[in-house]
Amino acid sequence: MPKNTNIKRILIIGAGPIIIGQAAEFDYSGTQACKALMKEGYEVILVNSNPATIMTDEELATKTYIEPLTTEILEEIIKKERPDVLLPTLGGQTALNLAKDLYESGILEKYGVGIIGASYEAIKRGEDRALFAKAMEEIGLKVPPNAIVNSLQEGFNSIKEIGFPAILRPAFTLGGTGGSIVYNMEEFPSKLSAALEASPIHQVLIDKSLIGWKEFELEVIRDTKDNVVIVCSIENFDPMGVHTGDSITVAPAQTLTDKQYQMLRDASLAIIRKIGVDTGGSNIQFAVDPNSDDFYVIEMNPRVSRSSALASKATGFPIAKVAALLAVGYTLDEIKNDITKNTPISFEPSIDYVVVKIPRFDFAKFRESSKVLGTTMKSVGEVMAIGRTFKESLMKAIRSLETDNPYLFMKDYEALSYDELITNIRIPTPERIFYIKEAFMRGISIDKIHEVSHIDKWFLHQIKELVEAYKEDVPFDKNYIFELKILGFSNKEIAKKFNKTEKEIEELLQDLSPTFKAVDTCAGEFKAYTPYYYSSWEYPYYKVGQEEAIFDND
Amino acid sequence: MLMKNKVIILGSGPNRIGQGIEFDYACVHAIQAVQEEGLEAIMINCNPETVSTDYDTATRLYFEPIVMENVNYVIKKEKDILGVLLQFGGQTPLKLANEFRERGITVLGTSPDSIDLAEDRGRFNALMKELGILQPEGNIAITKEEAIKVAKEIGYPVLVRPSYVLGGRAMRIVYTEKELLDYLEQAVDVSYQRPVLIDKYLSDSIEVDVDALSDGEDVLIGAIMEHIEEAGIHSGDSAASIPPYTLKEDILKEIRDQTIKIAKALKVKGLINLQFAIKDDIPYILEVNPRASRTVPYVSKSVGYPLAKIATKISLGRKLREILPEVFDKEHHVASDFLPKDFKYFTIKEAVFPWNKFPEVDPILGPEMKSTGEVMGIGTSFGIAYYKAQLAVDSKIPTSGNIFISVADRDKPKIIELVSEFLKLGFKVLCTEGTAYFLKSKGILVEKVLKVSEGRPNIVDYIANKDIQIIINTPSGHKERSDAFYIRRAAINHKIPYTTTIRGGYAILEAIKAIKNSQGHIEVFSLQEIR
Repeated sequence: MPKNTNIKRILIIGAGPIIIGQAAEFDYSGTQACKALMKEGYEVILVNSNPATIMTDEELATKTYIEPLTTEILEEIIKKERPDVLLPTLGGQTALNLAKDLYESGILEKYGVGIIGASYEAIKRGEDRALFAKAMEEIGLKVPPNAIVNSLQEGFNSIKEIGFPAILRPAFTLGGTGGSIVYNMEEFPSKLSAALEASPIHQVLIDKSLIGWKEFELEVIRDTKDNVVIVCSIENFDPMGVHTGDSITVAPAQTLTDKQYQMLRDASLAIIRKIGVDTGGSNIQFAVDPNSDDFYVIEMNPRVSRSSALASKATGFPIAKVAALLAVGYTLDEIKNDITKNTPISFEPSIDYVVVKIPRFDFAKFRESSKVLGTTMKSVGEVMAIGRTFKESLMKAIRSLETDNPYLFMKDYEALSYDELITNIRIPTPERIFYIKEAFMRGISIDKIHEVSHIDKWFLHQIKELVEAYKEDVPFDKNYIFELKILGFSNKEIAKKFNKTEKEIEELLQDLSPTFKAVDTCAGEFKAYTPYYYSSWEYPYYKVGQEEAIFDND
Repeated sequence: MLMKNKVIILGSGPNRIGQGIEFDYACVHAIQAVQEEGLEAIMINCNPETVSTDYDTATRLYFEPIVMENVNYVIKKEKDILGVLLQFGGQTPLKLANEFRERGITVLGTSPDSIDLAEDRGRFNALMKELGILQPEGNIAITKEEAIKVAKEIGYPVLVRPSYVLGGRAMRIVYTEKELLDYLEQAVDVSYQRPVLIDKYLSDSIEVDVDALSDGEDVLIGAIMEHIEEAGIHSGDSAASIPPYTLKEDILKEIRDQTIKIAKALKVKGLINLQFAIKDDIPYILEVNPRASRTVPYVSKSVGYPLAKIATKISLGRKLREILPEVFDKEHHVASDFLPKDFKYFTIKEAVFPWNKFPEVDPILGPEMKSTGEVMGIGTSFGIAYYKAQLAVDSKIPTSGNIFISVADRDKPKIIELVSEFLKLGFKVLCTEGTAYFLKSKGILVEKVLKVSEGRPNIVDYIANKDIQIIINTPSGHKERSDAFYIRRAAINHKIPYTTTIRGGYAILEAIKAIKNSQGHIEVFSLQEIR
C-alpha cells in the first residue's frame, strides 16, 4: 500500500530526559522517524522535554515543543496544533504510557486524533501481563508460571504455587524499576510492597525464576500486508536473572542450534501477529532451557526499544525509520534499503561479523549502592564493538568502555583467594568477565565456571582460548604477535605479555594494518553503498597503501 | 596537489554520569558543520545509543573504540586529513590530545596547549592573576598537617578534592577541621603523588555558567546561565535559568567582560565554558573549559543558534563576523548576544536523578555530579518556566497544602521571608523542633512535627500518609544516616516535590505564585514561535 495521504499532521512524542533504562537511543530513533516523515512531506509536531537531543533541533520538525510530557500539557499541544494522528512507538515507555492515558481519558477522541504505529489494543496486549499471558496461551506458547497481584494478600496466595526463587516485576515501569528476585518467605512481603509501590497501577507480576536459563531477544518488524522481517537475534552472555540492559549481549545469537533458532523465529512471527502490531517493530524476549529445546516467552515491547537501536546499529537496518514509514502506510516491499539502494528492505539482514555490546556502569557515583546485578537496570550507558569473531569483538568492546580497567588482560587479581574468585563469578557484577579471565589464568575448568555462573560453555571456551594465547610462551616475533592481533589483543596487552612498551609493538607492526570491512546488511551479496565500517585483523590482511580494494564498492 | 578535505571527529564513547547525550548532540552538529563547509566528516565512536553513529549522519562512520591504537589506524586508512576535532566529545577525545601532538596530527580549533593551560592549576592561576580576575583562595596540600594549615589560613568552609579528578569525584565541602580530618582519613589518600586541592568555599554565593564562542578576534556570549541552587552543587546537577533571574545588570556586564578577556587570553577558537561564583556581588572564576560543555544544547535551544555548529566552522578557519553578521548588527540582551534586548521568555534547565534505582543512596546534591539527564521548561515568567521544568521531571508543584521545612542552622535566618510567604499563600507550614523554635523567636508560628528519632507519628509517617505536599530540607553535612536521610528517601518514594537548597525553596515559591496568577492555565510554546 502506498503512503496514506489522508494524514497531514503527525504528532510524535519523545522519551523525555535520559534516565537509567531509557536513554539516548530514543533520540536516535526519534530523529530517524522525524527525518523520514518530513522527507515524505508530512508536517511533524514533535514533543520532548529533553533539550539535549538532536530530534528537538528546529529543522527536524514543523513544530518543536520542549514541554513536559504530561497528559495535560499534551492536551494543550493537541488543542493548539490539531494533529491528525499520534505516533507513540518511538519515545520508549514514556510515549506509550502517555498515548494510553490520552486514549483512555478521551482526549484523542475529543480532538479526532488517531493512533498509528501500534493500536491501543496492541499496546494493551503487549504490556498488560494478564492479557499477554492469555494471548500466548492461545497460540500455544508458554510464559513462565506467574501471577498478577494487586495486593500483598494476593501475593501470599500466588507465591505458594509459583515457589521460590521468584522474580517480581512491577507493571508499567521503565527498566524494571522496583523489580527484584526473592528467595524466601521472609523477604517476600517487603520486596513485594516495594514492587507494588513502584508500579503506577500497583500491579506486580510474580514470575517463576528462570535463573540459569539462556536469554535471547529477537527484533521483529511487520507491515499491513503481513510481511514480517526478523531484523536480528541477540543473545545474552549473562544468563537469565540479569536485566538485558545490564547484560553483555551478542548479535547474532551464537549458541542456538538451527532447530532452536527456527523455533524462536516461528514463535516471534506468531507473537507479533497475535498481539496485532501491524505496522512497526517489536522486541521479543525468550528464555531457553540450556539442557533441552524447552523455552518460555518472557515479554514483548510493541515499540522501538533499546535493543532495537542496538539491532539497527548491528545490522545497518534502520528500524525506527522503517517503522515510521510503515506507520504511514508503506509496506516492507515498497521501502528501499538505503545501503544497497536496489534491494527492498524486506530482505532480512545477513550478518558476516559478530557484535558485542557491554553496558557501562557508574557505581563510583553511588558508593553506598550494591554492585550486584539483578532485575533492576543499573547501567548508565553502553558500548558496541564489531569484529569478525566473538573474541575480536569482545576485546574491542572492553577496550571501548573507558573504565579504570578497560582491557581484559591489563589487570590481574592474584590477591583473590579461590573462594573469593568463585564468589565473584557466581554473583554477577560489572567485573564478572574479568574474574572469569582470572579463573582461566589459574587453570580453573570450564565446567566449574559454568556450574557457578551458568554462562554457556561456548562463551567460556572463547575466553579460555584468549587466555591460552596470552599465556603461551612464544618468542617476541612479528608472526606470533600477528596471531594475537587476529584474536583481538590490543598493542597495550601484547606489550604487557612481552614486557615491552606499546610503542615497540606499534613499531614492530608498522607495515601492517587491520582491514576495514563494511556493515552492508547483506554480507556482501549485493553491491553496497555503505559509509559504515569496522576494523578487523582477520585474514586476508592488507598492507598500508594496498587496501583500496575494500573501498571499491562505491 | 591533492586537497585535504577530510576532518576526523571523535565521539564521546559510552554515556555515563557527567558525559551523556549532550556530547553526542555536539558531535552531530560538528559533523553537519564540516559537511556544510564542503568537507568530509569522518566519525569515530563506539556508542550504539547515538545519532552520531547512525549510518547517514557522517560522511563515513567507523564503529571503533576511541583509544589511540584504533583511532590511529583509521587516520592511516583515511590519509590526507585536514585534522581532528576533539572539542565536542567531552573528556574522551581530549585525553588523546597530547598523543596527537606527539604524532604530528593536527588538532583543529583551540590548541591542546590552551586546553592544558585551563586545566593546569598553576598555569591557570598565574593567568588569572595577570588578567586581574578573582578566584576563590586556595592551595595544594601533600600531607594532612599541611591540609589543616591551608584550611585554617583560608578559613572554613572549604572545598576539598583530590587533584586531577573528573566530574567532581570525591569532592566535598567541609565546615570544620574535624570534618576535614574525617575526609582525609576516609575518602582520599593524601601524599606527594596524590595532593589534595583546598579552596575557599564561597557559601551563599550564586553560581553562573557561561557558554561563549570566540574566533580569536571576536567573542560572542552564547548565554549567561544563573544556577538556581547555590554554588557548591555540581553544575550538571543544578537547575539553571536563561536569562538570569536575580543577578543585577552590572554584574552580568562584569561577567561578560571577564569572559571576553579569558577567551582572548586562552586564544580560544571555538567554544568556551566558564563557571563563576557571585559572592556579595563580586564574581569569582571557578573553572574554565575551552571546549563544548554539557550546557551547549540547552543554550542553543534557548537562544535559537546552534553553538556547536558555529564553533566547528570557527575551527575550520571561518570568522564569527562572516558566519553571523546579523548577530553583530542587532541590539542584544545583556545575558546573550544572540537574544533580542527585549526577550520575554525564560528557559529553565532541570536535572533528572536515578535515586529510584539506588535505594541505599542519600538523594542529596553536592559537588559530585549524580544526574543522568535534563529537561527544559519555557515560560513567559521565571515562575512558570520553573514550574514546567519541575513538571517535566515528574514533580508537580502543588498550589496548596502542607509544606515541611527543616533546615541546617546556618540556613535558618534565610527562611524567615520564605516561610512568611508560604503562610501568606495559604500553606500550612510544619517544622521540626529547632526550625520551629527559631521561627517562633522571629514571631512566626508554625506547627511542630517529630523527627524520626523523636518518636511517632513523625515526619516520615506524615509523608507516607500524603499529609505533606512540599519538602524543603537542607543538609547539615554531618551524619551519614541522619533523620534527614529518611525524610529525603521518603520524599523520593512518595514522589513529593522536594529541595535540599534554600534557593530551590524560593524558586518553588515563585512557581506557585506564577501558577496561581495564571489560574492554573499553562501555555505551551513551540521553539519556532519564540524566535
